[in-house]
Amino acid sequence: MPLAEKNGIALFLPETYDIVWSLVILVVIAVCFYKYIMPKFQAVFDARAAKIEGRMEQAEKAQKDADEAKKKYEDQLSQARVEASKIRDDARAEASHIIADARSRAESDAAQITENAQRSIESQQKQALVSLKGEVGTLATALAGKILGSELSSSATQTQMLDKMIDEMDADSNK
Amino acid sequence: MVSQVSTQLVLAAKAGPELPSVDDFLPDPILFQGTPFAINRIILIRIVATIVLLLVMCITAKRAKLVPGRWQGLIETLLEFVRDNIVYQVMGEERGRRYVPMITTLFFTIFVFNLCGIIPGMNMAATATVTMPLVFALWTFVQYWIAACREKGFLQYLRGELMPPGVPLPIDIILGPINLLEALIIRPFSLTVRLFANMIAGHLLVATCLAFTQFYLIEASNWAVKPVGVLWLLGGFAFVCFEMFVAALQAYVFSILSTVYINQSYPEVE
Repeated sequence: MPLAEKNGIALFLPETYDIVWSLVILVVIAVCFYKYIMPKFQAVFDARAAKIEGRMEQAEKAQKDADEAKKKYEDQLSQARVEASKIRDDARAEASHIIADARSRAESDAAQITENAQRSIESQQKQALVSLKGEVGTLATALAGKILGSELSSSATQTQMLDKMIDEMDADSNK
Repeated sequence: MVSQVSTQLVLAAKAGPELPSVDDFLPDPILFQGTPFAINRIILIRIVATIVLLLVMCITAKRAKLVPGRWQGLIETLLEFVRDNIVYQVMGEERGRRYVPMITTLFFTIFVFNLCGIIPGMNMAATATVTMPLVFALWTFVQYWIAACREKGFLQYLRGELMPPGVPLPIDIILGPINLLEALIIRPFSLTVRLFANMIAGHLLVATCLAFTQFYLIEASNWAVKPVGVLWLLGGFAFVCFEMFVAALQAYVFSILSTVYINQSYPEVE
């Protein structure tokens, strides 16, 4: 192109080869961006977003799990506490029951023992009285016989005296 | 071309700094001259930038991991910026999802192509001929017409543009053609010229600073003018930094305007 034609207006008059190359270049760049670069970066963006979201979800789930476990443990703990206090109460009640039982049994045993003792004492006393009565009668008769030997000549007086004595003894023993 | 450069050098050495000119943006083809596939310096820069961009992006995409490294983090930040702060903010997520690849392509391509303007050895934005921005703008143009035909129907869209609801007839006569003109010509044209002119201006500014730096600091034999050269060098620093900013800014502006234009083809949401 001659130098003379290169004035300011020429700047605004596109050359054919310039148009061709501009188009070729733009099409090449656009195809690369549309077909490869943009989808690739979009995929990376998407994957990253998905990953971050996944992590967040995971963290949320872990938090929830932990909360649940904590609640479960707390429940169990409180339940165990309640159970323990119940057991303690039961034990205390049972102990007092056992003590009361033992006491009543001891009391009844004691009463029985006392009663038995009383009874045996009474029977022994009765036995002693009976044997004493027999022996006293014999002894008294013997003694009276010895004392009164001669005086009791008449059998009538003897019988009278004997009866009187026995009656007196009876009265004594019945006192 | 070699003879041309040498004449320029000779001229520069004699008369003054080798200032940039319109010719910088209209380099002669160096390959396949005379065919539709002729390649000149700017197209070569464009091809190299394309290869670098695609290699970097494809390798980053291929190695993309769930836990990003520094580089992947940077690229992802840019991708998410385009997606969230440009597309979704203007169109909303539901409508915008379809256009995320397109706007991302536009943003990255324009950004990298613009940056070529300050890469040593290239020193020329790959968007600094009218054609590249025009092709970008036409893509946007096609997209918002397709969106309009799909969402409203062609005639319905035309009627909405020619006779906006709630506008009285006398004003409509003026407003209708203006609207149509805007949708057909002004939008793509403004997109093209904004980007193209920014890149031309940027190149001219930086190249002028560096040309004067070279002239005063190196070529001038008079030591008294060396401080002037230092000042021009500082200006060069400033404008290189400014061009980095402009490269990103123009990519952003182009992307967000494309999104806005496409969004305007959709029916208003009550």
